[in-house]
Amino acid sequence: MKLNPHKPMASEYVPVAVSGSISSSAEETLRLIASLPAPAGLEDRVHAALRYAPSRSPLRQVFVAGVVSWGRILAWSKALSPQSDWMRTAAAAAIVFVVAGGGWGVYAHVQHGQPAKVIVMPRAMQPDGFSGAGAKRTPQTLPGPTVILPVKPTPAQHKAKKKPAASLAPSPLQAP
Amino acid sequence: MKIPTSAVNDESRRRAEDAALAALVDQYAGALYRVAFSVLRNAADAEDAVQEAFLRVLRHRHTLGDVRDHRVWLIRIVWNIVLDRKRRAKTRPETDDVDELARVLPSAGLTAEQLAAAAQHHSHVLACVDRLPPKERQVLVLSAFDELSSVEIASVLGITESSVRSRLFRARNLMAGLLDHERSLR
Repeated sequence: MKLNPHKPMASEYVPVAVSGSISSSAEETLRLIASLPAPAGLEDRVHAALRYAPSRSPLRQVFVAGVVSWGRILAWSKALSPQSDWMRTAAAAAIVFVVAGGGWGVYAHVQHGQPAKVIVMPRAMQPDGFSGAGAKRTPQTLPGPTVILPVKPTPAQHKAKKKPAASLAPSPLQAP
Repeated sequence: MKIPTSAVNDESRRRAEDAALAALVDQYAGALYRVAFSVLRNAADAEDAVQEAFLRVLRHRHTLGDVRDHRVWLIRIVWNIVLDRKRRAKTRPETDDVDELARVLPSAGLTAEQLAAAAQHHSHVLACVDRLPPKERQVLVLSAFDELSSVEIASVLGITESSVRSRLFRARNLMAGLLDHERSLR
């Protein structure tokens, strides 16, 4: 068996407890998988794939109509090359134009002078505990019994009544 | 008709690159297939990965002269391809079933029952390998290749050699623990 001088030997790194049969059986499986022979004719198929690959021009994966495929990308002419200065300037101008146009479009669609919506606060309840709950029309209820309170004359009224009495002067027109 | 010298040079250079690429295919296609199969565990997928690796080399064949170690360089390319495919295929059902293993495992001198039992055992071990953390699993899988040294494994994974050793140590410990646990459950 040809030994590789650079190959790390298991005994160098693995303690005895670990390098038991359990771990070695796992490595045996991996070595078995790693040593499986390649299928017959693999080299020929790879040669054929390389031969039929359009290798004379640079191929890249291109995304066309939702399909990723290998295709040829045409080279830009020098004047239209994305690396040229004026092309970059034009691209920057186009971006500025699109952004400014979009902003203007939004601004133009916004309606100015629209009255601000006012939040209507609920009315304060009346002292008797009832309110109209913001109803526009309230039914006319039947007039309830009215209480007639006796009106007491105020002292001012007494004075007002007495005043004409005090001015009772003998009138020539008045009969004795 | 006079052919420009640069065109002749280009043509001869291209032929030389094609010849070098063909030689790489003849020399390393098998090794790349085994690396791909150890991760993907599916013959068709592994072959696709090898073809994709060489197509990538074809696209960058002008850099072939700058590559110091073609074998490690190619293994690194196919390794990245298979990891990417494995990551993308996580949503699909696992393909490394017992039947596939029984189909590809060497069956010389084994009865059908023995072959089925071996496939069952290897499938069980590989399921435990899949449960390892990715960093440890990758080192363990690559360490199974006799032709890869720890320096080359480090080069493929883009890490230091000491990291390879420490990860390999952890991977073996974890693997032993997993298999021991599984064995105690039976």
